Amino acid sequence: MRTTTGSRVLKAALLAGASLCMAGAAQAAEPLVKACAKDGQFVIGFSQANNAEPYRQHVNDELTAAAKEVPGFTLQIADGAGNVNTQTSQVDNFITQKVDVLLISPFEAAPLTPAVKRAMDAGIPVIELDRKTVGDPGKDYTAFIGGDNFKIAEEAGKFTATKLLPDGGEAAVLEGLPSSTPAVERLNGFKEGVKGNAKIQIVAEQAADWVPDKAQTAFAAMLQAHPDIKVLYASNDMMAAGALLAAKGAGKDVKIIGTDGLPGPAGGIEAVAKGDWAATFTYPTGAKEAIDMSKKILLDCATSVEPTVTVDTTAITAENAKSMMGK
Amino acid sequence: MSDQKIERTASLAASTPAPASKHRVDPLAIIVRFQSLIGLVLVAIGGVIFSPRRHGEILFLNPDNIANIVRAVSETGIIAIGMTFVIITAGIDLSVGAVLGLSSVVTASMMISGGFGLIPTILAVLAMGIVFGVVQGTISTRFRLEPFIVTLAGLQAARGLALIVSGNQYINISYGDGPGLAPPVFAVLGERLFDNTVPVATIVFIIFAAIATLVLNTTRFGRYVYAVGGNERAARISGVPVSMVKISVYAITGFASALAGIVHAGQFNFGSANDGMGYELTAIAAVVIGGTSLFGGAGSMVGTVAGTIMLGALANILQLNNITPATQLLATAAIIVLAAVLQSLVRRREGLGR
Repeated sequence: MRTTTGSRVLKAALLAGASLCMAGAAQAAEPLVKACAKDGQFVIGFSQANNAEPYRQHVNDELTAAAKEVPGFTLQIADGAGNVNTQTSQVDNFITQKVDVLLISPFEAAPLTPAVKRAMDAGIPVIELDRKTVGDPGKDYTAFIGGDNFKIAEEAGKFTATKLLPDGGEAAVLEGLPSSTPAVERLNGFKEGVKGNAKIQIVAEQAADWVPDKAQTAFAAMLQAHPDIKVLYASNDMMAAGALLAAKGAGKDVKIIGTDGLPGPAGGIEAVAKGDWAATFTYPTGAKEAIDMSKKILLDCATSVEPTVTVDTTAITAENAKSMMGK
Repeated sequence: MSDQKIERTASLAASTPAPASKHRVDPLAIIVRFQSLIGLVLVAIGGVIFSPRRHGEILFLNPDNIANIVRAVSETGIIAIGMTFVIITAGIDLSVGAVLGLSSVVTASMMISGGFGLIPTILAVLAMGIVFGVVQGTISTRFRLEPFIVTLAGLQAARGLALIVSGNQYINISYGDGPGLAPPVFAVLGERLFDNTVPVATIVFIIFAAIATLVLNTTRFGRYVYAVGGNERAARISGVPVSMVKISVYAITGFASALAGIVHAGQFNFGSANDGMGYELTAIAAVVIGGTSLFGGAGSMVGTVAGTIMLGALANILQLNNITPATQLLATAAIIVLAAVLQSLVRRREGLGR
């Protein structure tokens, strides 16, 4: 945090009179938000990347629930609809509204960076959820809360190498939307994880853009070309659901691994509990952590917060799926 | 400018069975002619009325907020301007959003991995957009294919090319001097000028709109565009180079999409094959709301600009009031239907209804 203070002093000096509150923050004793108060009324704006993805809906639900627990908090969610231009304008709208804390899951890093900077310059603390913009937490934005895509997929890879295919065999991967950051990280993470077992061959990898229908088509084709595929790693639950349909259609018994571990009847946890899939690895939403951090900033007048909070994944397997269903 | 246009449409309509007389100007026709401007004014008034206030200040009218609205619509606006030409010829171009994506990727990769300078990159990308449009227009006219089909194929082709060029990765644009860095001046597209008030992307949009308005309203080419859309056979008989005009309007949408792609890359320091997804539909919506008929032969650039800004203002006021995106989609749907119904009524009164 010392470096933070240092750079703030520098920034304040550069921006001269324009940013008196930044200079104030540099005195370290000042809270991140001056208007903080135990019984205050606060508006938290959440700029979501794309509501159409079930995982993101799950984040919205958890955030809404967590914000409801705090009497003084009002949560506003804006849907960027998978479009950096739309999301940028929504962040600007939140700045116009002068929300007290900005939560954001940027659709892509670099394009949303200037908008986040504008919010910070306007004195609004920015907590980034799940995806980061360019720069360092604690400096260019207040904090990052999220899971580690690479690590989560690596866990899935290790699980494949040691539990599902200890004696080796053929495996396949369904990738998310090509050129999106989490798709690349999850693909690479899984490959890294299975490296521990040299007898495992990844015979096919195809992009299915996170959606089940494309996954079904892609995996059906994979099974035609490689009838001996034993394990499928799907980079999200939706694609795992599509792959299951393809496997059933082909009459194959393939061990399927999902990612995200969404709750509810269509989600991965239930699919594992029913025995349809071998496992899914939760991608934690960080919603509870984000609201807790907002409480620290707005209610407890925190002068600093933890810049990076990594929320760990939980492996959902046949052993714990039933007990996880209620959570 | 508007009188001149009414005269022109009237003279063109003279070749159709039921000419709209200049002396019986239908009040409904006037409403349709200015429907998007009227709509824009209504949305602005609504914005002021329903705007959240802070210390008595109307947030909707806050200069930063206005700048945000006109910045957010500048890319789809640039595309809608090009689309207006195409739709006046009774055509359609579905490839625009994909060409935007291709252009942003090519812009980023030329500057970052190709080491090209700013001017060569911009010229090359604009030329690429024009070539893309010329190819689509040529295929459509030469083989008498529906533009809908040709540009649908063009959409797929452009996304495919964008994925190849980008190697399935998004390309970040970092600025500086040297290899692997883009000229810092390119970042100006994401900034604001005139005392930090007017977004540069908006300036590009407005300049392009002004030029397009002049071309459409004052040049022979502009008259040809209306003529081809109004009655293609009559235009052909009276010596209008119909195929040339058609190919040219697709070249214009190609150019516009490339320009929007460059603006996109500059605004967001970023090129991704997925950029501009769905922009074709937003642009078509803006053009139709602007009073341009999908049957061709009628429409205006001012209408398109007003339609574009109106959609942006609507989205803004709904978000400022924390109203769900679902409502926004429904409101847009209602406005599109209303605009189309008004046009259809006018056509029927003029005896042109289909």
